[in-house]
Amino acid sequence: MQASANNLNNTSITDHLVSRCKKGDTLAFRELYNAYSAAMYNICLRMTGNPADAEDTLQEAFMQVFKNIERLENAGSVTAWIKRIVVNHCLSHLRRKKVYFEEVDNIDVEEETVVDESDFAWTVAAIKEAIHVLPHGYRTVLNLYIFEEYSHKEIASMLDISESTVKTQYMRAKDKVRQIIKQRKLIR
Amino acid sequence: MSENSFEDFVRQHRQEFEAPGPGPRVWANLEEQLNPPRKNRVIQMIGRHWLKAAAILVLLVNSVMIYQFLQMKKSQHLINVSPEMQEAKTYYTSQIEQRLETIKSYPNSVLGLDSVGRKELELRNETYQMLETELIQNPGNERIKAAMVRYYQMKLDLLDKILEELREKQPVSQKQSNYEREI
Repeated sequence: MQASANNLNNTSITDHLVSRCKKGDTLAFRELYNAYSAAMYNICLRMTGNPADAEDTLQEAFMQVFKNIERLENAGSVTAWIKRIVVNHCLSHLRRKKVYFEEVDNIDVEEETVVDESDFAWTVAAIKEAIHVLPHGYRTVLNLYIFEEYSHKEIASMLDISESTVKTQYMRAKDKVRQIIKQRKLIR
Repeated sequence: MSENSFEDFVRQHRQEFEAPGPGPRVWANLEEQLNPPRKNRVIQMIGRHWLKAAAILVLLVNSVMIYQFLQMKKSQHLINVSPEMQEAKTYYTSQIEQRLETIKSYPNSVLGLDSVGRKELELRNETYQMLETELIQNPGNERIKAAMVRYYQMKLDLLDKILEELREKQPVSQKQSNYEREI
């Protein structure tokens, strides 16, 4: 039975697939790639901001997955494990592009501004466009939190900054998204 | 609308944010990396296991050298270097041993030698062995061959002279009667 993104929730199928990958079965690598490539490509696309870099990063990340799958002890955590490798490769890519995740001077967490969003009729396209034009630092924190569903603490560890900085940057990123949408009148 | 509406909206429309998957070139490149061209496999394997390859090579060279050494040693026997000298050796050795046996059969009182002196008469081959080694190193050297034959002849002559004197002292028949008396 071929593995797919949907049936990888089935533990026995995942165990079997991972076990075949550990034996170096190229067909199993292909099945693993087919099951995860779309979701992982979307992470790369959101993080790098362009399809060419996203594909290159995805390729590097999957090569590392194939090389290191022998070390994966718990086949049940394969999704989180692959996702973390992909995210790490995206962060390396950003660091190579001189994107730094620096501490903000004011370490006190900013109070979230209460914004009346009643005028806002959010659309997927407007949010995607606004996120796309965000500065790299804001975009990274926002993506990791809202789309990849990592906690502020986990993001702080990945970016080697404090949790309070992550919270501050996330709120600023969200404000920026609202401003961009308003300025560009992306939402009517 | 709540202040978290941005997060709520994203979560509710999560799937709509997803783009189609990557192009086919990503898997094509990965597949190429997973299955490199076959012709490079041997070189890659040697590269990966160079230490094992070197150890196997050293063992092979050692085995060949040991085999050649043993072959060389085998060919260094007299029979291989000079078969005619091996034949002469066999003949003279038997002759010498025969005479020694006869000499030993005489009682010490007639022989007039103590145990050390008797031992001196034994077939001591040091000189001969030295000549044999010389011949192995210089196969075909006629002077060495002649010296070896002369060595045996001198030894035989010496033993013959001893036997002659012993017979004069005590003829064989008397010797036999003494022997019978002893029994």
